[in-house]
Amino acid sequence: MLADFLRLSLKALSERRARAVLTIVGIAIGPLILVMMSSVVGSYSEYIVERITSLGQNAIAIFPTENYRLDAEDLNYIRTFDAVKRAEPFYNTQGIVKRGTEETKVSIFAVDYNLLFEAIGSLEIGEGAIPPETDTLSSIIGRKIAFKDDTRHFSLHDVLTVTVPKIEGGKITGKKTVNVVVSAILEEYGGALIVDPDSTIFMSLEAGRRLLGLDKWSGVLVLADNPANVKPTVSALRQYYEEKVQIIAFSSIAEAISSVTSAITFINFSTSLSAFAVAVAGVAATMITSVMERTREIGVMKAIGYTNFQILLMILLESIMMSLVGATAGISTGVVGAYILSSRGFRIGGIGESGITLQLNPLITPTLIIQTLALTILIGLAGGVLPAYRASKIPPVVALRYE
Amino acid sequence: MPETKQKKPIIQLVDVYKEYRAGTISTLALKRVNFQIHREQVIAIMGPSGSGKTTLLNMIGLLDRPTKGKIFFDGLDVLRLDDKTLANLRNTKLGFVFQTFNLVNRLSVFENVELPLIPRGIPRGVRAKMVLDAIIKVGGDESWLSKKPNQLSGGQQQRVAIARAIVGKPVVLLADEPTGNLDRASAKVVVKTFLNLNKAGHTVVVVTHDPEVANCMDKIYVIRDGEIIDEYSSNKAESLINKV
Repeated sequence: MLADFLRLSLKALSERRARAVLTIVGIAIGPLILVMMSSVVGSYSEYIVERITSLGQNAIAIFPTENYRLDAEDLNYIRTFDAVKRAEPFYNTQGIVKRGTEETKVSIFAVDYNLLFEAIGSLEIGEGAIPPETDTLSSIIGRKIAFKDDTRHFSLHDVLTVTVPKIEGGKITGKKTVNVVVSAILEEYGGALIVDPDSTIFMSLEAGRRLLGLDKWSGVLVLADNPANVKPTVSALRQYYEEKVQIIAFSSIAEAISSVTSAITFINFSTSLSAFAVAVAGVAATMITSVMERTREIGVMKAIGYTNFQILLMILLESIMMSLVGATAGISTGVVGAYILSSRGFRIGGIGESGITLQLNPLITPTLIIQTLALTILIGLAGGVLPAYRASKIPPVVALRYE
Repeated sequence: MPETKQKKPIIQLVDVYKEYRAGTISTLALKRVNFQIHREQVIAIMGPSGSGKTTLLNMIGLLDRPTKGKIFFDGLDVLRLDDKTLANLRNTKLGFVFQTFNLVNRLSVFENVELPLIPRGIPRGVRAKMVLDAIIKVGGDESWLSKKPNQLSGGQQQRVAIARAIVGKPVVLLADEPTGNLDRASAKVVVKTFLNLNKAGHTVVVVTHDPEVANCMDKIYVIRDGEIIDEYSSNKAESLINKV
């Protein structure tokens, strides 16, 4: 019987094709926006959170403020925490590497290699090997320093000439050049958004001190024994140091970014709901008109034995079918739109020399499709239920008299 | 008509009143109507426009409820039945034919005629046979089935409407001015169809204001101002069928 009702409803829709098509277009806008925006925002959100998370969920970075100097006493204090697995100082500065005729800005990070690779678990050596900590002339360089657009500029054992600030008495007094040997080249990391290993030269802590002339630690990198212990450790350190240092836990950044992306997703969802609300009104208007035009027909149906429920079902099926077609059209164009939108890429500035441009495939999941489909069908139901109910309740004699 | 068939009326109206209200104005469409229809009767209800013919037919056809009085259908007190049961009775025991045919123009003849069978859940294969049988009974043929109603003449459309009314093998066939929109030749064919259906065992009730159509039936009830004021046997000599 349901198949017959579907057939009858489809015929009713096809009779008023232009109106049905316009209503379907109205319905399709909601799922289009929802799928397109959610999948694009979702893919970037997931990527960004994943990259932040990859920095290590048990890593904490402590940076001194301008008027405070971290020293061995601080290091010893930090190491007294039961939850602290390791704590090592690091030096961080900027430099310029000459690649042929071109100069490239790079970050220089002098840190204990083992701690570095433990903190950033997804950091991998592509070529060469990690040099010994005592080797102050060797370095590990990021992929974008060694290569540019797949063109190799530096190989293993090449000497890099890096221009760095000259520091005397704790102050920058000019520029100087240092030479470092390439001992290893990292696999492409892709940008962690806070740091950019692809554009960084990593060297040992001792190299940082000797080669770069840095005497003031840029900070202390702390590794907690467990991600669950990060928050209490950060709290304890903040309580101890108050305003003297800035403490950043990568897990907190991930959490914050996750909150921001959730908010964006919610705003996007709310925007889509406006389109859905318009669609409800569209469906309702179409169905009310349709019911009015077919009042006499409804009277005949009742006279020949259709129950109120069967009339309600037939009218509702019409709006549900419009929603289904609208959902299919909206989701399909949403998917296409998402790929077009993603293909433009998304530039994040402030990282590396010229920021990084993310170009990701939209995150189109079965859950997103099913949720959008369900929501769109709900729109059809919401828009159709009142006209269908009214149609089902028209007394047959009144309907038959209708002109 | 055999005596046994007269004993148990299929439809009985007892002191039926129907009042319509529009704001403070009320109109009494039916006044104390007492009326019986027996199985296999073929009767006409005659009266001028606004006399209450259609209201009476709506009562007989279980489409409307009286303001006062009782209606019995095959012994059942109609006022005690819910909408679903009434719909089921209309679907299985009654067939309706309207003055304006009331066919659904977007549907083919086949789809129009099969409409009453859908709520019964009859499989499509069985429906196809029942539809063809009904079309043949009203003098149509297989070639009609795929046509749209507007591709047929008025008389043919009314016969399709009759086929829709009889496809479910109802006990009572109710027709409201079935010849009102037809020329005399088509009207004659339609009336003959009703008479043939009566011979096949259907009870037929025709509402008309046309005396020539009414005289084709066995008995004529005259209604005026909501009251049945007269009933008499028809004068076949004055019927549409016998007049040239």
